[in-house]
Amino acid sequence: MTLNEALKIINARKGTGEQKPHFLVCGFEPLNLATLLRAHLLQRLPDDDVDVSAGLYGDLTGNLELAMSSAAIAAAVVIEWADIDPRMGLRSAGGWSNSAKADILAATPRRYAHLETLIARLGARMPVVIVPPSLPLPPFGATIRGQASLIELELESQLASFLVQAGRAAGVRVLPRQLMPELMPNGSGLDPRGEFLAGCPHTIACSNGIAETVTACLWQTAPKKGLITDLDNTLWAGIVGELGVAGVSWHQELRTQAHGLYQQMLGHLASSGVLLGVASKNEISAVEAALARNDLLMDATALFPVCASWGPKSESVARILRVWNIGASDVVFVDDSAMELEEVRQSFPGITCIEFPQKDAGKLWKVLGELRDLFGKPTFTHEDTLRQASIRAASHLQEAGGGQASAEFLRSLAGTVNVQWTMDADDKRALDLINKTNQFNLNGRRINEGEWRRLLAESGAVVAVVSYRDKFGPLGRIAVLAGIRSGNEVQISHWVMSCRAFSRMIEHHTLDVLFGMPGVEVIEFSFQATERNQPLQTFLRAAGMVANGEGVIRLPRTSYMQGRTELPHQVSETTEGLNGPR
Amino acid sequence: MNDMRQRIASCFRNVFPGLGEDEIARASTASLAAWDSAAHVTLLFSIEEEFGLELELTDFDDLVSYALILNFVEEKSGGLVEEHSGNG
Repeated sequence: MTLNEALKIINARKGTGEQKPHFLVCGFEPLNLATLLRAHLLQRLPDDDVDVSAGLYGDLTGNLELAMSSAAIAAAVVIEWADIDPRMGLRSAGGWSNSAKADILAATPRRYAHLETLIARLGARMPVVIVPPSLPLPPFGATIRGQASLIELELESQLASFLVQAGRAAGVRVLPRQLMPELMPNGSGLDPRGEFLAGCPHTIACSNGIAETVTACLWQTAPKKGLITDLDNTLWAGIVGELGVAGVSWHQELRTQAHGLYQQMLGHLASSGVLLGVASKNEISAVEAALARNDLLMDATALFPVCASWGPKSESVARILRVWNIGASDVVFVDDSAMELEEVRQSFPGITCIEFPQKDAGKLWKVLGELRDLFGKPTFTHEDTLRQASIRAASHLQEAGGGQASAEFLRSLAGTVNVQWTMDADDKRALDLINKTNQFNLNGRRINEGEWRRLLAESGAVVAVVSYRDKFGPLGRIAVLAGIRSGNEVQISHWVMSCRAFSRMIEHHTLDVLFGMPGVEVIEFSFQATERNQPLQTFLRAAGMVANGEGVIRLPRTSYMQGRTELPHQVSETTEGLNGPR
Repeated sequence: MNDMRQRIASCFRNVFPGLGEDEIARASTASLAAWDSAAHVTLLFSIEEEFGLELELTDFDDLVSYALILNFVEEKSGGLVEEHSGNG
């Protein structure tokens, strides 16, 4: 994006949509960066009006304080070497003598410690992206530029330690240093003239790279949930039906390492909680035998379900989606055949199809990076590790229940529902569920971390995180309900439940617990029909609540009690945080 | 020539949205309140980008009105722009 394009985007959109204030924290003059950041944010948030505030020149720590007290919902902290010590900037007259350099090195850890504290405090209020220095150090090394001087190595080391510590804080994300060269299409991102002229040290191209990357990091797209892979010439090289189980390979010595790398990537995704399934045109016996090979570079039990048949791949994909109970738009399909990809794409237009490039190592590397971006998320929670096991459990449950969810069958599961009343804004699971659940979702509203923290800070805020386990194992924390209590009423603004938890009457238990709160006589639901929240609508109708179109649904205690049935599971409640709602 | 004026006016509108054609032609740091130091740098960066120029530090001190900017751009890239607009 050029500066003129950015200005046009801003002028075309001024004053339309909901205000989404952002704070750009830096110590330089962010003339171009603020403009480009605002334009990128406007493109990323097309229904909103984005404002970008910046603080005072030369006062990074003061600007962090300003951001903390601002109404911003997200912040970018762009650090340059001059913010760590002004003597490392172009506008300083502090000198680069040996004693000055020794002083810089000695003072830097204290500076980082202070920044770390402030950034952690800011991260507790809103999502924060740290952009580490993208500009070069001044030429004060005693070596040629092709050799790192010790002071440069020391400064890089101190910076790396700071970024590790800062990145551990809740709400804080760090842009990778190795990305910095990519932000500078013409070599260095430094614009010495802009720095002398206005204290604006980045080239427009560099500012654009930073703005684009910050936007992508702050407003990440919802990660995909599952990957369906082909086997022959994808998970391994060769066709197992022709070469036999021993004939397929994924090894460096056989020049089929591309498949070995792909297997390792799938293993990594599985350990990150991504669902993996197989859609293969094969005999199931051959597939099972090949997947049982002990030199596979991933745990084959992570592949579930494994669909092998001679029918169209779309049929296998349909079956896998049913087992996973998720939509095609949450899934990536990988196959080496363009024809198979097209056949699946035509049946499931929302699915993301990726061709496995078995002959092109360069393309393979790009595909692996693309997979990381499709499945990556800002934080990793314990529930992510439970997802695969609970999908299997759901499958067992379906088999055991024959598709019926009678009260008698559900009681036989020996299930326990735990409702945790919480005010812990650092627990990312609740927000994660709200922002990625589609089917059992009261209104489809997504909120960001800053809005979530504000909701929790409101007077009368009520947040319940529901977890479940039964004889098939734990599902983890699978539902969230959030709202505001006002007198004898509770207004629910968010209610979501993972599709993994359907058919167990957990939603009934949740409602029952709400009416168990002393003095609650009415529950109001801020409902809105969406394309995908049919399961929620079905539940509301079953519970006697009319859910047509948009609006508030009121459920008085008397109506609820009239329709209440005996529920199958044991229930426990826990409270976390000082401002427990009960 | 007209094309050049339009392109410069477009840069002015990017930085000072809502400014009319006449106001742009008369604009200077003295006459336009919104033309402050930050807007000045942004405007000249915008002009640089539009015409592929690289201004020197002293140019930022000198180019303080639409007329001066027009003259400057004509001088720096007039031949190329003339050629384009002449053929157009």
